Amino acid sequence: MSAQLAPEDVLTDEGYAVVATAEDLHVTFRRNGKAIHALRGISLEIRRGEILGLVGESGSGKSVLGLTLLGLHGAGATISGRATVRGRDMVSATDAERRAVRVAHLGAVFQDPMTSLNPTMRVGRQVAEAAGSDEEALRLLRLVGVPEAESRMSAFPHELSGGLRQRVMIAMAVAGNPDLVIADEPTTALDVTVQAQVLRLLRTLRDELGCSVLMITHDLGVAAQIADRVAVMYAGRLAELGESDAVLRSSAHPYTLGLMRSRLTLGVDRTRALPALPGEVPSPAAPQPGCAFSPRCSVAGPDCAETSPEPVEVEPGHHSACLRPLAVVRSTDTVSPVALTARAEPAGIDQDTAALSLRSVVKTFGVGKGFGRKRTLHALRGVSLQVAQGESVALVGESGSGKSTLLRVAAGLETADSGEVELSGGSRPQMVFQDSGASLTPWMTVEQILGERVRDLGRAARAAKVREALSLVGLPAEVGAARATQLSGGQRQRVCLARATIVPPPVLLCDEPTSALDVSLAASVINLIARLRRELGMSVLFVTHDLSVARVVADRIAVMYLGQIVEIGASDRVTSAPLHPYTRSLVSAVPDVGLTPVILPGEPASPLNPPSGCAFHPRCADATESCQDTELGLRLQRVANDDVDRVACINIDLSHVPTPVYITPKGA
Amino acid sequence: MAVAEPFVVPRPAWRRPLSLDLRAPRTWSIIGASLFAVMTLIALAAPLLSPHDPLVPVGIPLAAPGHGGFLLGSDSIGRDVLSRCLYGMRASWFAALVVIAGGFLIGGLVGLVAGSSGGWIDNLLMRITDGFLALPAPVLAIAVVASLGPSFTHTLIAVSVVWWPFYARIVRGEISKLAARPHVEAARLAGAGRVRIALRHLLPGALPAAVVTASLDVGNLVLALAGLSFLGLGQSAPAPELGADSARNLSLLLQQWWVPVVPGIAVAVLAVIANVAGDSVRNLIDPE
Ligand SMILES: Nc1ncnc2c1ncn2[C@@H]1O[C@H](COP(=O)(O)OP(=O)(O)OP(=O)(O)O)[C@@H](O)[C@H]1O
Ligand code: SF4
Ligand code: SF4
Ligand SMILES: [Mg+2]
Repeated sequence: MSAQLAPEDVLTDEGYAVVATAEDLHVTFRRNGKAIHALRGISLEIRRGEILGLVGESGSGKSVLGLTLLGLHGAGATISGRATVRGRDMVSATDAERRAVRVAHLGAVFQDPMTSLNPTMRVGRQVAEAAGSDEEALRLLRLVGVPEAESRMSAFPHELSGGLRQRVMIAMAVAGNPDLVIADEPTTALDVTVQAQVLRLLRTLRDELGCSVLMITHDLGVAAQIADRVAVMYAGRLAELGESDAVLRSSAHPYTLGLMRSRLTLGVDRTRALPALPGEVPSPAAPQPGCAFSPRCSVAGPDCAETSPEPVEVEPGHHSACLRPLAVVRSTDTVSPVALTARAEPAGIDQDTAALSLRSVVKTFGVGKGFGRKRTLHALRGVSLQVAQGESVALVGESGSGKSTLLRVAAGLETADSGEVELSGGSRPQMVFQDSGASLTPWMTVEQILGERVRDLGRAARAAKVREALSLVGLPAEVGAARATQLSGGQRQRVCLARATIVPPPVLLCDEPTSALDVSLAASVINLIARLRRELGMSVLFVTHDLSVARVVADRIAVMYLGQIVEIGASDRVTSAPLHPYTRSLVSAVPDVGLTPVILPGEPASPLNPPSGCAFHPRCADATESCQDTELGLRLQRVANDDVDRVACINIDLSHVPTPVYITPKGA
Repeated sequence: MAVAEPFVVPRPAWRRPLSLDLRAPRTWSIIGASLFAVMTLIALAAPLLSPHDPLVPVGIPLAAPGHGGFLLGSDSIGRDVLSRCLYGMRASWFAALVVIAGGFLIGGLVGLVAGSSGGWIDNLLMRITDGFLALPAPVLAIAVVASLGPSFTHTLIAVSVVWWPFYARIVRGEISKLAARPHVEAARLAGAGRVRIALRHLLPGALPAAVVTASLDVGNLVLALAGLSFLGLGQSAPAPELGADSARNLSLLLQQWWVPVVPGIAVAVLAVIANVAGDSVRNLIDPE
């Protein structure tokens, strides 16, 4: 993309129009003697006052671009090209100059505020250090919407919730009125409801302070929600750049089109296999003579493997780096669904036989260090749930609502304080964890790890069984000789599934198995779980914080709030016609292209001290006097005498089940 | 994915073929680490390498290095200093290895049990470990020797008593870090029992740290043992021992310097070799 501005414009201090640029930026690291090409020649500009969304899968170089603009790329990197901020090149600058530019013009927000905040220092002091004075710090904390800002000044970071911590980070980032705030996945670790709040905050701040924001995210929905323009990166290069609407709604690059079509939304057709981009992101260590996307691109030609496409303007203000003409790209179905059996309802869900049944499960933890000051954390406050044979149930809810605890109780990894856990046939359930890498013993080979479940077999039988399990999850037998670190994220999660199914369990428990994976991988893992479930006749209990995932994996969704199920019902009904006020706010907070989220105010309540009556009442828009009654004794009630839908709220009409609004998938 | 993509298992770093590329840091680390083997061979071969019997006078007393057939001189009763040093190094080296092996085994076991059990067992074992850790080594050694009588074995026992807690701490630290990883729960769900989890899913992860510590420790131990022997807490009189040889002949420092100084240098050489080798092992095991 050619610079639309003369250099003198860039340097004029007041009338500047471009706050930062990357100009043919290459960044290479060396790791174990190998060159890692994080950026392979990227050019773009961030305009004054705009929010530029930088999206791409993991390893595409988004964060490296952000860090290079901040001048924090580290000494080990080999860099060519320029990365300027207000006309000053952060690549060639000295450390002192970089620091000066950071102080004067930049602010930064990262994914995990805990790593950037000093845990031993009160929040107020930290903000004051960035802001210059206590008064200014207080003003900023109010500006970013920290409730009871005065008293929060003296809190330590760990005493704040994730959302509040992120607000504190944002307060520090906007201290001193920076021209550009670089936000690297600032909402990835947050719950949807809090994410919606933080995104709204960033937009408001931009409007009020006039700063630009570089919003780095892997989530196209988040970019759609907040960005004026969107830049899509692939393998260290720019794939597409333009106005948000243009890029996301009439994409010009095959990769963006693929991402958009394989995105999970509440409108995805849940009766078919999910389309997923085939293949995986290329290794940053591999040389890329041609278009890096060519192995996965359905319109690629022989020239694509040799010529590296430069971004060209395909429509006014809309750039795409592709050798094919726009008309060809748009008219081709770029996402050929990977060759997976279509997802369909399993042959038999037997509602009469429960594979797993939990009755009034209560689980508390004693927390707090030292003597005497032990406090009780109410993780599960009486949960009853039945999963029928062959059925798939998703548990959704915000962080700390007890989803994982429920799963761990069902797995027998945690013992309930009271209540019953009953498994049909008595055999152990198996579990798939969020962090697939960490759930594989690092020094053992895949074959040894899978072999742990079939130890009673002889050597040869065991090896055969392992090969069979691997092939069932679509992995070649050679993977058996590998260790976890030698596998990609998607392969690891498949290995975990192979371990869980080498002897098919009656119930498969999944704790956020896809949330650490890129969009395209997540779709194929979800497809795989669906297929295994059907072929092996397993029941599935699937924890996720993502409603769109829950909707496609599950027959029923259970919504948890503070250790209780507040609503349960058929997936389509819960996601399209939610009853409980909390479910309603969850559904409307899901970021998506072309939707404005409704924002649920307030912070998630603490399980150390659940509110009386209906635990949701402090945040509930429909709350009435009686909702906080200590004697309320709220329980799940049948809706309209049917057996599927239940909700725990006193202000809901239980006489009929709302009809699900089936959202037709785009292009169907 | 019905069509399996070709998959080649990359070779782990420690399985790469030996190369003799002298520019690669790895080559030097391998050479450094093999000093442990070289030193052990020298210690084993001390009787063959020594020109004389270290215990009996074989020539004129106090001959200067290079005189009277003594490469490094003779001591006050005409014994060969070189031979005494070689035997002394042999004793120090093996003593250091024995103490470390003992510490490694006992400490490793305590650490493994504590870290993998958690709860009160962990607390109890670690309290005991800390108790031992707080004992001052020389005082303990003097106490042991005073009560059991002076003997090399007693000194080794005394040193071992204060040495294992380091290993217990290190192994326990690594194990409890590992025990919090989901792979342990996954192993539990796969049906592995306590012992199997400890041995298969925890212990191998703690070994590298323990091996690194042990190899960096040889040098320390050589110095510590030499120090005790210098204080007279080592082997009894005629036995060749570096610290004691140096201490007993300190009065000769100004006239016949080689008698006390050469054993001192031998201690230093051992410690330096051990440290170089230890560093190399660390570089090999965790290059970061
Ligand atoms: N072993 C434990 N000791 C103390 N507290 C715990 C323990 N395990 C869970 N908790 C607490 O119990 C509550 C429920 O936790 P749980 O992990 O089940 O939530 P979750 O819904 O899975 O959240 P997330 O979405 O963040 O994974 C949380 O407040 C958590 O901090
Ligand atoms: S250049 Fe070729 S391979 Fe790359 S996106 Fe365009 S068509 Fe696909
Ligand atoms: S019971 Fe009351 S507070 Fe609770 S969800 Fe219903 S209306 Fe809201
Ligand atoms: Mg969880």
